[in-house]
Amino acid sequence: METGRGRGDTLISMAEQPAISVAGLWQVFGSDSASAFRRAQGEGGSARDIAGRLEEDGCIPAVRDACFEVAEGELFVIMGLSGSGKSTLLRGISRLVEPTAGHVSIEGEDVLAASKARMTELRRSRIGMVFQHFGLFPHMSVIDNVAFPLKVGGMGRRERHDKVQDIIEMVGLKGREGAYPRELSGGQRQRVGIARSLAGDCSVWFLDEPFSALDPLIRRQLQDEFLDIRARLNTTIVFITHDIAEALKLADRIAIMRDGEIVQIGTPADIVLHPVDDYVREFARDVVRGRHAKVGSIMRSDDNRAANGTPGLRPDMTLEDALATCMAHYEPVAVYDDGGNLLGTVDPQDIASALKADRA
Amino acid sequence: MSASQGMPAASPPGLSRGLLAALLTLVTGAVCLLLQGYAPWLVRFPEAWTLPTTELVGAGLDAFLSTIKPVMRAWSWLLSFPMSWANAVLVGSPWPLIIGAFTAAGWYLGGFRMAFLTFLGFGFVLLSGYWSESMNTLSLVSVSVPLAVLAGGSLGILANEVPRIRTALLATLDAMQTIPTFAYLTPLLLLFGFGPVVGLVASAIYAAPPMARNVILGLERVDPEVKEASIMSGAARWQQLFLVEIPAASQQIMVGVNQCLMASLSMVIIAAVIGGFNDIGWEVLLTMRKAQFGQAFLAGLVIVIFAIVIDRLSGSLALERRRHDRRVTWGLLLAGAVGAALLALTGADAAPGGVFSAAAVAVDDGLGAFTAAHGATLDGIKNSAMFYGLLPLRIGLDQAVLPFTWGFQWTAAMSLWLFGIAVLAGLALAATGRQMAGAGLVIAVGVVETGIADLPWPFVIVGTMALALLAQGFRLAVLSAALLGLVLISGLWDRALLSLYLSGAAVVACVIAGGVLGLLSAVSEFAWMIIRPVCDMLQTIPLFVFLIPTLMFFQIGEFSAFLAICAYAVVPMIRYTRHGLVSTPPEMLEAATSSGATPWQTMTDVRMPYAAPTILLGLNQTILYAFAMLVIAALIGTTGLGQSIYLALGQADVGLGVSAGAAMAILAFVADRLAQGFAEERRKALGL
Repeated sequence: METGRGRGDTLISMAEQPAISVAGLWQVFGSDSASAFRRAQGEGGSARDIAGRLEEDGCIPAVRDACFEVAEGELFVIMGLSGSGKSTLLRGISRLVEPTAGHVSIEGEDVLAASKARMTELRRSRIGMVFQHFGLFPHMSVIDNVAFPLKVGGMGRRERHDKVQDIIEMVGLKGREGAYPRELSGGQRQRVGIARSLAGDCSVWFLDEPFSALDPLIRRQLQDEFLDIRARLNTTIVFITHDIAEALKLADRIAIMRDGEIVQIGTPADIVLHPVDDYVREFARDVVRGRHAKVGSIMRSDDNRAANGTPGLRPDMTLEDALATCMAHYEPVAVYDDGGNLLGTVDPQDIASALKADRA
Repeated sequence: MSASQGMPAASPPGLSRGLLAALLTLVTGAVCLLLQGYAPWLVRFPEAWTLPTTELVGAGLDAFLSTIKPVMRAWSWLLSFPMSWANAVLVGSPWPLIIGAFTAAGWYLGGFRMAFLTFLGFGFVLLSGYWSESMNTLSLVSVSVPLAVLAGGSLGILANEVPRIRTALLATLDAMQTIPTFAYLTPLLLLFGFGPVVGLVASAIYAAPPMARNVILGLERVDPEVKEASIMSGAARWQQLFLVEIPAASQQIMVGVNQCLMASLSMVIIAAVIGGFNDIGWEVLLTMRKAQFGQAFLAGLVIVIFAIVIDRLSGSLALERRRHDRRVTWGLLLAGAVGAALLALTGADAAPGGVFSAAAVAVDDGLGAFTAAHGATLDGIKNSAMFYGLLPLRIGLDQAVLPFTWGFQWTAAMSLWLFGIAVLAGLALAATGRQMAGAGLVIAVGVVETGIADLPWPFVIVGTMALALLAQGFRLAVLSAALLGLVLISGLWDRALLSLYLSGAAVVACVIAGGVLGLLSAVSEFAWMIIRPVCDMLQTIPLFVFLIPTLMFFQIGEFSAFLAICAYAVVPMIRYTRHGLVSTPPEMLEAATSSGATPWQTMTDVRMPYAAPTILLGLNQTILYAFAMLVIAALIGTTGLGQSIYLALGQADVGLGVSAGAAMAILAFVADRLAQGFAEERRKALGL
């Protein structure tokens, strides 16, 4: 599979050990799926052949041979339509369902080989998860919901309530500690969900369509707050969504899934500018490309003739902004980094063509 | 029993599967009737062919029971402790304290309304003079319910934790609820001896299944994300279960507790039949036997009020609770205590009462006067229902039509004429495209002419198989044939047919009455306002109490039993019919209206077909209710399996009691699966 080391990958160093690594992960549903998978795999062939054979057997290969790595502190978004297997993939990694085959390691530890007790331990201390419909405990107040991971970990009542005060304040629920989930709005409920997932000081954070059930306005507000929290905590994040705009807004890298298969992994600009197939192109179609593709993605660093430097382009500028800046120029424009060093040039012609490349 | 419902929506014209099954049934019946002169065994299963099942079962069970008897006696001994404690508390406490405590509980659970209802209810019980009897009953309930809750809850959790045993467990729960209550009183009697422990254990057995079902349902319905959230929070399995899943399912579990309480109360009162405990059920039975209907009515009323108060109290457990002022709760308790203290100081008698005994006597006298004055009318109602309805259904027109009742003698020629006309009408129907209706008509006429009790056994078995084939398929057909075959060779067949006749008659009456009332409630909000509280009350009343009013007016006999069964079994028919009819999606109704359908056309062409699966489920419930009541009704004189079970109880004949109970359960099981199969088939046909 194409792991899509696009130009944007320069932002993230893959040299050190990844925080999460997933290899050859299969999730097959159906009666006696394990032996069906062994049989289908035994006959060899590509992942697609194996999946085909499984379907003939009456099984459902919900995740097919997923492989990816997430670097420490990276925000990795998995995107796809409903039924594409993205939530199942996340449940396989967190072992909410047992994967049929494959390898998952989180911070160097083989998760699929971990015992039940060890898994419980990991979930208390290292992994946090947020759910689409919040998954709040209806019989517990806000503070008890948030402190639940500490409670099951054996922490005393006063101590855990003290400990979660900061988190409750961070998600903006101060003063509502005694409320019950049924008394909260959707946005507030998800804040509780977020706070609960953070109570255990997790270093790996899973979010399963956390904002999909919310109104557009609340969604945007929570996305922004989520980015703030992320900047403060610097956790490794796997974020599931079906919304391309959300994916492009939040992600360091995006994996796009279709029918249980990861079809492309890349930076937001990669996905928008270089879709691998029509499926991905179809997603990118509705996106105003100028807002997501950055100058860096079309910059030519081989062509360093000091061109017109006046507009002062930077590589992390969006194309839309860049276009506005160099509207009046017909010759290549120089791109500088924050330190004022010349990085390369951009031809306004390229901006224009990148923006309309897909209109046809 | 018309088979016309079973026609699959997309069956090919000509000889469909349904028609084939109907014709086969018809031919079997005809052959049996034609050949009965030459081969009488075709109609009446020869006794020589039966196996001594009841004796075998009796011997086997006796051996088994006597081996486990010591253990059970030890149990009984253990149970006697909490029972005597509960009894000491409830009977020993002065009545103001108990009324205060319950009123306080009413306030705590449901505010002023509930407190007031509780106060009135217990006040009535006090003034009725049945205070100590009621407290005896309550103490039985207060021990049996925790037992049932604990047993049912553990079974429910077990089913949730070990999915493999789930199917088996659900089947066991089914059996626990379909086997008639009287049937397991007999073996319990042998195990525990006469005394209240039998009632206690029986009510725990009877009350545990609804608890288990609701626990299973509740745990199943917990939002999957809530379960996942507890896993991802790092909760161990027991933490997930007890800290998250059970509390999250608490509303459904409370529904279970409510049903458990009601079942337990109902059963405690039924168990009074074996006596040994001076409780309110026993009082009803005693006064009923002495024909003191005023007293029986009063005691019955106490039970009803008890049931309503307990039902509403525990029902509000399952609702989202508003907080009521705690101080009022304490105040009410205090008031009770002060009242008790005052009572003790003044040295007043333990409980007043007898306020209504004059009223009871008056009711008795009034009733006597009424029956004396209108005896002829009542007898007229009873006799015409018997002679023109029940008897022909039971023994057939050929025997029921006598000069003494109908004014003429039925002759063989008349049978021939009747059959001839039926066949012609059937053919006419078939010619207009309604073959199933035609075949159904001929079968129905055949049944009425012969009488259910005299139906040839091959006809019953083939007919059941045909219905099962249509309802679900081959497997159910074979299963029901095998089960009915078991009844046949056990020698209980005749009694089973008698039970089938009475419950069948009651079900038909319920379908007609319930269908009409349900329809009325669906079209008129006003009618539903009146019918609904009646339904609520009929469903709260313990089975036993239904016997009192019918006995008051119609004395012991089949007709009284028939009325009692109808009164109990009609409720689900009304409810489901209404529910099915009013839950038609509004856009469907708008579509019908905008197509120009009149309200009546909308009713017959849109709402009724849409409601069919729901109504069939109501029918299913009605059948089960009728079977349950049939056994209770044996107390006031029915023939058939119910009577056998009741007799076995009196003679402590385990073999007869258990076999007859099993035969009853088989009938109920087959009827249940048939009705459910048809409901399922309809639902699928409608794409629901």
